[in-house]
Formats: sequence, structure tokens, C-alpha cells
Amino acid sequence: MGRRTRILGAIASLALVTAACGGSDDDSSDDEPAATEAADESQADGSDPDSDDGGGDESAPESDGDESVDTDGGGESSESTAAPLEDDEQLTSEGEGESGDAAGDPVAGGEITWGLTNDGTGFNTTTAVAPGTIRLMGALSDPLVSLDVNADWVPNLAENLTPNEDFTAWTITLRPGVVFHDGEPVDAAAVAANLEAYRTSATVGFNFANVASIEVVDDLNVLVTMLSPWAAFPFQFVGQPGWMVSPSTIGQNDTFVGTGPFMLESWTPGDGARVVRNPDYWRADEGLPYLDAINFKYLVDQTVKRQALEAGDVEGYISPGDEDIVDFLEDDGVDVWIGTAGANEYLWLLNTAAPPFDDLRVRRAMAHAIDRDFLIENFRSGLTEPADGPINPASRWFTETDYPDFDPDAAAALVAEYEAEVGPVEFELSIEPNASVIEVAEVMMSFLADVGIDGELKEIGQGQSAITAIQDDYQAFSWFQFGAPDPDRDYVFFHSAGGLLNWSNLVSAEIDAGLDQARQSDDVAVRVEGYGQFLQALADEVPMLWVDHLNGIEAAVTIPELNGIGTPGVLPDGSPSLPMTDGSFFSWTGVWLEQ
Amino acid sequence: MLILRRFGRLAIVFVVVTFFTFFLLDRAPVDIAEVKAGLNATPENVAAIRAELGLDDPFLVRYLRWLVDAFQLDFGDSIVLDGFTSWDLISEALPKTLELMILAEIIAIAIAVPLAIASARRPGGWIDRLGSTSAFGLLALPSFVLGIYLSFLFGVQLGWFPTIVDDLPSIFSDPFGNLRQMLLPSITLALNLVAVYLRLLRSDLIDTLQEDYVMLAQARGLSDRRVMWRHVLRPSSLNLTTAIGLNVAGLIGGALIIEVLFAINGIGRLAIQSVILNDFAVVAAIVAILTVAYVVVNFVVDVLYTVLDPRIRHGAR
Repeated sequence: MGRRTRILGAIASLALVTAACGGSDDDSSDDEPAATEAADESQADGSDPDSDDGGGDESAPESDGDESVDTDGGGESSESTAAPLEDDEQLTSEGEGESGDAAGDPVAGGEITWGLTNDGTGFNTTTAVAPGTIRLMGALSDPLVSLDVNADWVPNLAENLTPNEDFTAWTITLRPGVVFHDGEPVDAAAVAANLEAYRTSATVGFNFANVASIEVVDDLNVLVTMLSPWAAFPFQFVGQPGWMVSPSTIGQNDTFVGTGPFMLESWTPGDGARVVRNPDYWRADEGLPYLDAINFKYLVDQTVKRQALEAGDVEGYISPGDEDIVDFLEDDGVDVWIGTAGANEYLWLLNTAAPPFDDLRVRRAMAHAIDRDFLIENFRSGLTEPADGPINPASRWFTETDYPDFDPDAAAALVAEYEAEVGPVEFELSIEPNASVIEVAEVMMSFLADVGIDGELKEIGQGQSAITAIQDDYQAFSWFQFGAPDPDRDYVFFHSAGGLLNWSNLVSAEIDAGLDQARQSDDVAVRVEGYGQFLQALADEVPMLWVDHLNGIEAAVTIPELNGIGTPGVLPDGSPSLPMTDGSFFSWTGVWLEQ
Repeated sequence: MLILRRFGRLAIVFVVVTFFTFFLLDRAPVDIAEVKAGLNATPENVAAIRAELGLDDPFLVRYLRWLVDAFQLDFGDSIVLDGFTSWDLISEALPKTLELMILAEIIAIAIAVPLAIASARRPGGWIDRLGSTSAFGLLALPSFVLGIYLSFLFGVQLGWFPTIVDDLPSIFSDPFGNLRQMLLPSITLALNLVAVYLRLLRSDLIDTLQEDYVMLAQARGLSDRRVMWRHVLRPSSLNLTTAIGLNVAGLIGGALIIEVLFAINGIGRLAIQSVILNDFAVVAAIVAILTVAYVVVNFVVDVLYTVLDPRIRHGAR
């Protein structure tokens, strides 16, 4: 009996060791990386922190495809270069880090596993695409337009975009000979079909509300006519409207037949996706893409992601927690890349159409009551910056405003005035069930309680934020959004013409005028002035309670051998691309692995 | 006859559980049609989807329709993932969770039974004391802590196993590749079970060893090993078998944590994700399948009683 037990134990041990060694360390293609998802992202919703709408529909300053737009009106460009951050000095000097990837010339080949934060919900480009899916688009799709290092638009899949004199019509010219992953041509008919499906979509068509018509001119030209001048229109094509799919697959959710450097081989909801090199890639003569395949793996826990990176099971992942970022900055074995362009803001929407936030005194009292520096120090490891509005201070479109400072006495005085006239200030904060976000919200509630404002949390279902906000079924709302490289992308969320999407329901002639001025002109100085007016009106009216710009914590971490993430790639016209935008969204076209 | 009775009981449990699950989902403060319609949908869009899904019908009509479809393994389309049925998602996730649970049970039994026998043969001996102490230690250690430790030790430090499960090969086509990924999560899930099984079996073994027929067998000169394996272990396994059956539900809960820790796309993670995304069709399908699985496993346990204990077998006749 005893001997048998020992034999069984020995067999079990042997099996364990054999299994452990079953796939040798160097059959990395089998069990390479994988990843997790974590914090997460959101697209115009209150879901959670590291939101990324990754180019979902961003825009960016203007520029020119070839002509027209005046991009150097004196404003500084958005400092958007991602940098490998190896110390705190670099961390605080966004965009000034050296390129870091001094590994030599890119080499082709290799397969990696990459950790994603969120699962996707499908590839239907005519509906709201989930952040987890958007992350795959950097591999599966070349947008019609991309951003250069100055965050100006540059044609990518399109050969050119040409406006008429007053920006009421744009002609999109396509490149000859480009095909979708299924071999179908990327011609004017295909592009027009994609754009028309987007425009008429009930769920995303609001972005094209200013588009009057889309017409095929000839094989390679599409004419888009506007209802009113729209100089910043090309920036729409950096994100979702710019993702072209083969016409027969428009509206399909379970597959994506695009034009990008990689083709979708498989997608398992809840697990991940695998993409493989596109052999017919239209930039193949440049040797692109370099990697053979990428396994995207959804990982849900920060500890798991970190251990997977340290064990070599993933080559990198997005959305590390702020504490991990701080740790990795001290670790020579890990590169940290922080995208400084287009990161979201954390804020609370205040419904100005309903009590108590229909009263400006209460809204201003809220702003005076919140100590943003305390929140950043204690909940973001000091990595983010206080926000006064939806435009990052690093952006050329930013203007200082006199948004209410932290001043509890002023807040208490405003509350006392309101209470004497109306009654106690009480409200509910709608919030999705995310522990780390709730933690911050509860501390904010305590700040408010200190000045006499009594708030309660009201948890709503995950993914219900946008619907709840559209229905105006809220008083205050914990929210992540905005920060697009070009603020025109956020037009509908503030402008009275945005209707249901004007989240806070504030109708302000000042805001409307500022946004319209910036949208209709290609002159940087004029646009800066328009956005300045817009930001000041927001600061005066406080329809949103701003907390911080998340540009410091929307990041990617990689092993040092993985190159091309966070450093500028090369756009088709030869200009360097913006490495990361919308937080940590980037293209996989030029990513390569040291062999 | 026994089987017919069990099937009858299974049907009743299935209907009761699925009815109340369906009822709770129906009462959730979320409009499925709005979820499916998505952002910025018009009331007309929502109404059309509601009509398409039959959500305007009375609750009982909808439940009965779902029940009839469910008996044909048609659990409807996922509400969130267009292009996927609930069964598509479940059939992808269920095998991984099943493998995880089966491996965990095998590992737990493989460790607990020899330890329990050794402990019962010399109660108070060093094996017994060490086993008891370790069992309590394991019981006190939550699986999420254990999993992180094991992952760190065997994955990060030693590099023996991957820290996450990715692109899992079939255990039939590539058993080593499969086990290399699944062993660590299975051991994590198993270690909590070891403690329970060890304590149960040890106690029953000690009781059985005091029975007259055991002493008679020993007096007849049968070897200790023969007495233990032929006359003591089987009748002492009833409580252990019961625990294994009842643990199915607990394992599903435990599997969720393990699935998160090791990035396994299993049924636990699918259930949580579906709840979070309000994908009620998938939630209802998972509940239905788990209900059937739980009842079937416990039915098998009942049958095993008759195999393990002749007294029950004779009573059944």
C-alpha cells in the first residue's frame, strides 16, 4: 500500500514535470503571449477609465492632403508623440522622449501575443463599435486618413481629399489597384457604399449629420457634399468612418474584410482574435507589414497582465494600471509608451435641464468643491493632469480659462445661497459598476458633502451609459470621453444641434458660435479663437465637472524587443505618423520584433 | 424505474430554475430592445426590435416559447453579439470549463485519497498531522491568492507553465500542450478541494476501520492493503462521493475566479460577461445548461451509491 502510494506520487510528479516541459521554451509560437483586459475604455460613455475610443471617431487638426489647409497659423501642434518613458523627467515632458527604438533596421517575421483591455462585440462598422474591437482596427484597417506627428491629417488609404473653395464639398480620390482582403477593389463605389451606410446608420450617423449627399464621380472619385462648410471634415476619416470594408460585408458583425496590413483569421468572443499578414497588402512593396501574425488576447486583471508580461507570455499590453506604470518606469526590461494625444477626460456630466443642476450656482459650487490635485495624487499616482475642459493643454487648440478653482468656502457660500432660496442640494450620480471608478466618485462625494451637497451613487448596467444619457435619465453621470486631437470630433456633444447627444442639455449661443467658427474655417488662428470661446463658455456655465486628462495613464507596455509602437511610422506620402492617438491607439503596420 | 423517477425530478428542477431565472431577467431594469438597438436608436428602431424578439408577448408566452426552443438546444441569438447564437458562445466556452473541473477533481482525488488512507491508518501520526495542517492551510487560502502565487512561482519565476491559457489545443490531439496550459489552473482549483476531501474521507475511513467486519477480516489474516482497498475504502467513500457531486456547483463558482486568473475563456467568465453586458439570452442558456449538468451529476452520484455500498444496492431492489 505504502509502496503503491509512492509509485503513484512518482508518476504524478513525472507527469507534472513532463507536462511542464511539454512545449519547450522555444516553441514560442504555441504558447506565446496572451493578455488580459483590464481597466478599459469607453467610447462616449461612462464606462471606465482607460477608455479608448481609439480612433473610433477622432479627428485632428487640420491640414492638407495636398493643398488647401493652412496648418501653421502659429499655434503649436498637439504634442502627441509617444515616448518610451524611462524616468520621471520624461514622464513629465510628453512628446520629448527620444525615439528609443535604436534596435536597427526593421526585420520581417515573428508572431506576438498582445494583451487587450476589453472584449469586442463585433465588426459592424455601421453601428457603435466597442473599444475592444477598435483596438483590432490598427491591424485590420487602413483608415482613409491618418494623423502625422503634428496631428494634422494626411491621406492614407485615400490618395487625396480635396475641398471646394468654401468647404461645402470634398472629393475623395482613391488609389488605383488597392483591394480588400477578399480581393474586391477599393473603388469609388465601395467607398461610397461604406460612407452611405455610415451616414444612414441610426446609431452612428449623427457624426455625418452635416453631410448632404455622397456620390460616385468615377471609378476613383467620390464627392461628399455638405449642408454647411466643414473644413475639418477629413479628420472624421481617421476613425470609424474611415474604415472601409468589402461592400458585400457592410453591416456584418462577425467578420471584417478590410484593407489593413493584417487579415482576420479568427475571433472568439470573450477570448481574443488572431490576425495574419495580408499577402496582398497595398504597401507590400515597402516590406509592410513586418510581423507574420498577432494574437490578441483579452485579459481582465492587471495582476494577470503583468505576470504574463514578466513570464514572457505576452509581448505587451495596453492600459496598465497607474501603479504598474510607475513600477515599469524603473524597469529596464519593460518599455512604457504613453500616448499624449487624444486621451479621454474623466468628468461628471451635469444634466442642466433638471434640478438641482439647472441652477448655475450649484454647478459652480460643485466645481469649487472638488480637489482635483488630491484625486490625481491618490488615485492616478500623480500621472494625469487636472482638466478644465475637453481639450488637453498640450493641444494647439487649448486656451486657458477661469474654470472654478478648488475653493470650499466659495462652494459652501453658493450652496448656502441656493439652499436659502430653493432647499437642500441633493442628487444622484449614475455610474457603471467599476470599482476603481466608484472609489474616485465616493471621494468626490465626500468633498461635496463637506460643502453641504448630498450625493448618492446610482449604479447602472455596464454599457448603459450612453443610452441613459441620451434619455436624459440622470442628474449627474460619471463619464469618460473627449480629448480628440481635433476637437471637431466632439462637436455634437456640446453643440445645441447635437440634440440628444448634447449630453448636458446646455444650450449656449457662445458655445455654438465657438464650435461653428472652429468647424468652418481652416485657419488655425480662427479655429483657436473659436475653441477659446467654446472653452471659456464651458468654464462659465460648468455643464460638466472636469477631473483630469488621462493622457498620463493611457499607455502601452512592451518588451524592449518589440519595436514600432510609440514611435512614428511612415505614412504613404513618406511623412512620419502620429505614433499613438486617442490614448494608446496605434497602427500595427510598422511594428516589428527583434529576432 | 429509478432512472424515470430521476428524469422526472430533473424536469421539475429544470422548469423551476429556468422559470425563476427567466422571471428575474424579465424584471431586470434594462430594456433588451434598447440594448440591441444601441446608441441613438429611435423609438421606432426599439419598437421594431421589440416586435422582432417577441418582447411584447406576455411573460408566460415568452417563457414557454423559450422552453420549447431550449429542449431543442435552441437558446436564441446573443443580444449583444450580432451573428452569434447563445449556443455558439456556450459551446466555445463549456469544454474548457468542463476540462478544468474534471482535471481539478482528478487532481484533488489523486492527492486526497492516498493522504486520507495514510492518515487513517495511523491517526495522529506525522502524515495525519501534516495532512490536517496543510488541509486547513489550503482551506484558509482563497483560490485567487493561491492562483497568483502559483502563477508567479511556476510561471514567472520557474517558467515551467504559461501564466495564461491561450490558443488551447485539444487534450485529445495534443495532450501535453493542453496539460501544460491547463495544469496550473486545475491545480489551483483542486487544492481547495483536497482539504475537504481529505478531511471527509479520513474521518469515514477511521469509522469504518472500527467496524466488526473489518476486524474480522483482519483476524482472518488478510493483509492491511487488501482490507483497506477491498473492505474499507468503498463503503467509506459515500460522503466523499456526495461531496464530489455537490461540489459541481461550487466548482463552477470557483472556475470563474480561475478563469479570470488564467485568462480562460470558460463558462464562468462568459456568464459574468453576459450579465455585465445584459446579454440575457446567453445568461438564460447558461443557467439552463448548468442546471441540467448539476442534476445529472448528482443523479450519477446516486447511482454510484449503489455501486459503492452493497446495502444500498440491496435496498434498491
